[in-house]
Amino acid sequence: MSRSANLTPSQAGMKQANFRSYMRRYGTLYLLLILPIAFFIIFRYIPMAWILGAFKENNIFKAPWELPWAKNNGFEFFIKAFNDRTFINALRNTITLNLLDLACGFPAPILLALMLNELTFKRFKKVTQTVLYMPHFLSWIIISGLALRLLASNDGLINILYKRMSGNPDASIPFMSSNNWWVATYVVLGIWKEAGWGTIIYLAALTGISPELYEAAAVDGAGRFKRIWHVTLPGLRPTIITLLIMNLGRILGSEFDRPLALSNKLVTDVSQVISIYVYQNGLKANKFALTTAVGLFQSVVGVIFLVGANALAKRAGERGIM
Amino acid sequence: MKKLLTLVLALALVLSMCAISASAEELVDGKFAETKHITVEIYNRNNDGGTDPTNNVYTDYIKAGMLEKHNVEVEFVSIGRWTEVDDMNTALAAGDAPDVCVTYSYPTIQSYAGMGGIINLNDIGGKKLEEYKDILPNLWNLLGDFNIYYDQDPESGDLWAIEATLADNARINCFIRKDWLDKLGLALPTTEEEFHNCLVAFRDNAETLLGADADKMVPYSTSYDVAWRNDLLCVSYVPDEVKDEDLYINGFDDRHVLYPGYKEGVRVLNKWYNEGLVWKDFAEYASDSTHEDDMMKAGFVGAFMHNWDYPYRGGEDSIQANLQRNVGEDAAYIAVDSFVNNAGVHRKFLAPPIDRKVFFPATNDEPLASLLYVDFISDPETIAFLQLGKEGETYNAIEGGYEKIATTGDYLQNSLNNIDYTITVNGLYLGDATAVTTAMGYEKVDPELIKVANAAAKADGRVVATFNCGAIEAEQEYGTRLPEFRDSMLNKAVTASEADFDAVYDQGMQDYLDNGGQEIINERTEKIAQFYGYTAE
Repeated sequence: MSRSANLTPSQAGMKQANFRSYMRRYGTLYLLLILPIAFFIIFRYIPMAWILGAFKENNIFKAPWELPWAKNNGFEFFIKAFNDRTFINALRNTITLNLLDLACGFPAPILLALMLNELTFKRFKKVTQTVLYMPHFLSWIIISGLALRLLASNDGLINILYKRMSGNPDASIPFMSSNNWWVATYVVLGIWKEAGWGTIIYLAALTGISPELYEAAAVDGAGRFKRIWHVTLPGLRPTIITLLIMNLGRILGSEFDRPLALSNKLVTDVSQVISIYVYQNGLKANKFALTTAVGLFQSVVGVIFLVGANALAKRAGERGIM
Repeated sequence: MKKLLTLVLALALVLSMCAISASAEELVDGKFAETKHITVEIYNRNNDGGTDPTNNVYTDYIKAGMLEKHNVEVEFVSIGRWTEVDDMNTALAAGDAPDVCVTYSYPTIQSYAGMGGIINLNDIGGKKLEEYKDILPNLWNLLGDFNIYYDQDPESGDLWAIEATLADNARINCFIRKDWLDKLGLALPTTEEEFHNCLVAFRDNAETLLGADADKMVPYSTSYDVAWRNDLLCVSYVPDEVKDEDLYINGFDDRHVLYPGYKEGVRVLNKWYNEGLVWKDFAEYASDSTHEDDMMKAGFVGAFMHNWDYPYRGGEDSIQANLQRNVGEDAAYIAVDSFVNNAGVHRKFLAPPIDRKVFFPATNDEPLASLLYVDFISDPETIAFLQLGKEGETYNAIEGGYEKIATTGDYLQNSLNNIDYTITVNGLYLGDATAVTTAMGYEKVDPELIKVANAAAKADGRVVATFNCGAIEAEQEYGTRLPEFRDSMLNKAVTASEADFDAVYDQGMQDYLDNGGQEIINERTEKIAQFYGYTAE
């Protein structure tokens, strides 16, 4: 705007003509863009107005701006959540499970992608990849059913085998019924389901690494591991950083179907996460203001992590995502 | 321009108000002059081979009847039976709930009533429900003031829902494998000790009873829903002399978990668990798992507690029918009454004759037509047709009652006796013909077994007196999440080692009380003092 203000009238006319021909050329593309933009406005931006509901009295039949403010300057429901032990537990469990997922689940697809990349037999690689992608398309409900048949403490297949092999009919591993075992089961099943799918983006990044680099390294006498360490991994670095930043932004977010389907009444101390808290209090008990407050808290922490991680990455000389 | 707009708006308002007040007078001989349209909720059970719950011979009957009698068009809207509370919440929140709704969850109705989402039945067209009594004769005959005003607020008079009646208040039974007892030369157990002996005998004779499948033996099975599935055992530890008022104060949880003495019953279960008498993995399977039923059908389960007729329900697919197919003609579960309280009585705590709750959401524009629907569905003639079906097709008349016939065609009932359609009554309601019809009502099952079960479920039953203290605010706040704490506590306590039992149970109970249980008890204590002058000792 400010630049066009300094233009002479004839220059401005030129600009206008340019704009017109530009629009004639690319207008249809902009027309195509209307639909996705409308989607984001209607389903992402307009609903943000309802964030206000976190600070207003609980009533789903009125829009938040029509409602009176909640007590304590509108912060009633935030105070309530943080005084609620169930919420604090859910917060703790969310962070624990997500950190474990990050520590174990984040490197898994990278390792897998490196291994796939080293396979020379093309057809075998293709088949392996397809098999690895498969679990991604199963819902957690199906996986939880499979898991129970395999891992149930007494009549799960693995425990039946374990009993036979150990010769002790009372021996069993409480995969689903003791807190620590359940957390391990949760994390491992997560890796099993998503690691294969996660390799796709790394494999795509790997195709971008120039073969000349490998040749040069080989000429210099680098073995397989040296080449992975000095060529492949640095090539993946921007992708890894980007995904890591995005993952950190979700540190307080929680999946819903995964803990819900895998949980049972014995492990609620470790399995109740924020999404389940929101489901139980919001949808089941109609406390929409409370759960909106919790959702807002989750988002704010998520944004802080995202921005913080991005800033750290930039300071370390990476490009970051913002 | 603005003035004109205001005028038009005001006129529209006046006209619409006229329309509302005129609606009552529109009825001529119970019929609307103009055809009305209402939507009605119906549970969808998704049963194998079932019919479309919104469109079948029974809905056709209702639709035709309503149109003829009241000139009201009825449209059915299905809601998942096993997810009804969640589905209903979603529908209410989205403002697209059916005009006539039904649910088992009063807290759901209460919380939406608090937000202005439910019609006050004592304020339809500015009139109290009583003023419509003349046009609702069947409703009053069936339910009476007790059920109709059961939920009325004692102070404001607000009435958000009508309670359906429970025609048969048989609740829970304990079942045991009769053929196993015979094989081992054991009598039907009449005390807890004898029952325990039977379970031990099942465990120790697994080879005799199951042969090659001996390692699959489950002497006693339960599910994650410990309180429902072990009720008879647990309440046998409640002292007989406990007062109704105290049961009200500790009665928020309809599975009795706050009753005095309850913990001792759970302790027995914990002992059984540690003796290897209880299905080891019960807590790991979720509510929709059929694993436990499959074990019963395959003949691996010795005993269990459940709904009073549970193993007999479902015709060809019932547990009993499968058991006989898989094990042999003489295999059978029989109801036994084995748990005795401190007064030597086989005590069962039975619910007052209330059942589902019928209500109209605020989005209902035809409350009068909806009331007429509720009346029509309470008509004995309607109920008889819905429960029995068609002579020669679904039943035959026999002496003293009716005998059900297995059917797979159009007349198949998706729910037992079509209770999903008879929203104001649960259980057979056929007058004098009820008892015989109940016993004959289970295809493939010996009527004798049904008679034994029905009698056992009600023997020494105690119906806890009702105290109408209005809405308990703490229940609205915490009511929906407490069952989670209850189940978690009981699952952990039952599976704990015997040495840890007290610590685990007490910790679980503390969590339950801290998360709202205590507040509910306190408020109930205050309210019963306020309305009935009762002070707990």
